[in-house]
Amino acid sequence: MSSKINGHVSPQPCPHLLDFRFRNGPKPFRALHDCIRVKPPGGRAAIRREPSEVPRCGTCEESSRSRLYACVACAAVFCHAPLLHSHASDHALSIPGHEIAVDVDRAELFCCACGDQVYDRDFDAAVVLAQTVNATATTSTSGSTAMQCSVAGSQPENLRKRRRVDYRPWEPDSGEHISRGNQSIPLLDATNASLVSSTQQPWGLRGLNNLGNTCFMNSILQALLHTPPLRNYFLGDRHNRYYCQQKNGAINGTKNSRLCLACDMDAIFSAVFSGDRTPYSPAKFLYSWWQHAANLASYEQQDAHEFFISMLEGIHEKVEKDKRKSQSPARQVTKVIVFSLTLINAELASALRFRTAGLMMSTALLLIPSSNKIDPAGGGDCCIAHRVFSGILRSDVMCMVCGFTSTTYDPCVDISLDLEPNQGGSGKSSSAKSLNSCNVEADCMHPNQNGGISTLNGCLERFTRAEKLGSDQKFFCQKCQVRQESLKQMSIRKLPLVSCFHVKRFEHSSIRKMSRKVDRFLQFPFSLDMAPYLSSSILRSRFGNRIFPFDGDEQDASNDLSTEFELFAVVTHSGRLDAGHYVTYLRLSNQWYKCDDAWITPVNESIVRAAQGYMMFYVQKVLYYKESENQGTS
Amino acid sequence: MAVHQGEKIKIPKHSVNRPPTPDAAEDQGKEPTLQEIINIKLIESGEKERLMELLRERLIDCGWKDEMKALCRAHVKKKGRNNVTVDDLVHLITPKGRASVPDSVKAELLQRIRTFLMSAAL
Repeated sequence: MSSKINGHVSPQPCPHLLDFRFRNGPKPFRALHDCIRVKPPGGRAAIRREPSEVPRCGTCEESSRSRLYACVACAAVFCHAPLLHSHASDHALSIPGHEIAVDVDRAELFCCACGDQVYDRDFDAAVVLAQTVNATATTSTSGSTAMQCSVAGSQPENLRKRRRVDYRPWEPDSGEHISRGNQSIPLLDATNASLVSSTQQPWGLRGLNNLGNTCFMNSILQALLHTPPLRNYFLGDRHNRYYCQQKNGAINGTKNSRLCLACDMDAIFSAVFSGDRTPYSPAKFLYSWWQHAANLASYEQQDAHEFFISMLEGIHEKVEKDKRKSQSPARQVTKVIVFSLTLINAELASALRFRTAGLMMSTALLLIPSSNKIDPAGGGDCCIAHRVFSGILRSDVMCMVCGFTSTTYDPCVDISLDLEPNQGGSGKSSSAKSLNSCNVEADCMHPNQNGGISTLNGCLERFTRAEKLGSDQKFFCQKCQVRQESLKQMSIRKLPLVSCFHVKRFEHSSIRKMSRKVDRFLQFPFSLDMAPYLSSSILRSRFGNRIFPFDGDEQDASNDLSTEFELFAVVTHSGRLDAGHYVTYLRLSNQWYKCDDAWITPVNESIVRAAQGYMMFYVQKVLYYKESENQGTS
Repeated sequence: MAVHQGEKIKIPKHSVNRPPTPDAAEDQGKEPTLQEIINIKLIESGEKERLMELLRERLIDCGWKDEMKALCRAHVKKKGRNNVTVDDLVHLITPKGRASVPDSVKAELLQRIRTFLMSAAL
């Protein structure tokens, strides 16, 4: 009943609409285009013959009806209230060919005979054009180019389309076969039974010793050790610490150059996935991180999120430093690509050890995030940390006076969400009602705050909601050339491979000059669909219910990877602001494990659902394999 | 069955089918009701636009919009995506919607309208 255009469902016209189009030429709503009136700000489109026209029903003279429709054929306005009387339907049925009308307050086409909304591409495009021409300052020549320019807004430079290469599974040649046999240690072997735990715990589960208030580091490390793209990268030998240290020694022999957080990560991965189940002490990593983040180098308690950001920065900086050192600035861009490609080839050719079975290697190559795209907005591809975690946020600031919208794109490695301490707006009376019906049931599906439970979806919805900036935060409008009150809306332009959500549980009150922790429970789903928070969805909802011609490079962002995510790690915090404890819950082959420093125990999923989430890690569903229960053979 | 260009129905800007002007209505003995007068005053001053925006904001904040959306979704799920029309949905949610608007929202809007009327010195 509906067709797909650009991946979005487009409804089929009803027989009356088809008939109307047939009789009135290819663009029957042309004359309506002049009647589209857009009121800034907010940009709601209405149909008026004169700008100040007050539409009223031709039959009953009322102008205060809630639904008034103008017949497209004869421009007569009628009211439509099927429960009482519908003068619009009367008109439609009395004169053939007059079934199609347009809602004067919403600029939506309606078939009075079918009693349903209908869609016309050209009309919807004209409405969107009218709404966006108002909102952007782009001056353009004519017709469709104008629409594309203004609809896309201030879009970044044309992203180079990815070159697609046919997938060929990797097979070792004879030389590699031999070296593989000589220098590898079989992972699953009867003779190594002592290494393989008899309780059949999954691979990579190993406790981390607390080295002195380092639970903040242990909890994040546990989450990262099981971040699928990161795990594949390191276990696939994509950052060989011996090779890296050797290279660093060759270029610059100082001790500082040997500092590489990625090398230390590599060491941790090796240790944790070795099969040894005794708790591991990540001392070398801690020491390296202290050298990187000197201001946090102490045995005091730290914030896990701060550590996470600092660690990603550390990995990124090292890669940037290496790139800058090894070539001249003149032809830096092309050299970077060539350099990294040769590096990868060199690594594969001269890999000292094969730590994984051949099958995993080839699949790991497939799953290692890599692309030739140079993202002008800086959203990733510089280092493994950004390739995994970096997404792009879009921020639209709209002037409340003239409607001019300024759009900026910023890369981000995580999303920090506010946790409102109190319920929204005027829902006091209804919240009492719904609290009884929807108790503290963790599976309550209410997206709104009235149910008394905060949900991750609710926080995301609040994050992407249009927000009025206060009068003390007036934004400089380029069109008005003065500071005006404005409306700000965030949305996600590009989703990362792994989404990290950080819940702002620390409340700073400037009035009382103190900070406290918000212990409020937040319900988070195990499967998350990020589609409603993408820029394309947010923009589409701004223009109401119509066919939205939002093409351009948004397609690349949403078509290549899906919007469905699966939860795989939760970092929880218990205690106070200054003294507390971090614990991570990991999801491996659909079984949850509690990682409390050196102690790892399997737990029921209800425990995880009831936990106080501080940071939640979601991975793209296509990269997340719900492995079978039997972990005996790989 | 060719479509002749000359016979294409255009929508004239000033159509003879235009509804009669208010003066004509009064001549016929139809007095505009108080509701009508207030409505026109609200529209002409732009206050109606502002009130609509305020109402939309309040109804979103208190979760009313989400509740209605959920009702519609449930209905569509039950009936099937292709068997539901806009009129069906309006019929479905109008009574529940009107009943579930929070009193505070109603009070706020009434206050605004009252203030406007006093300032418009009707």
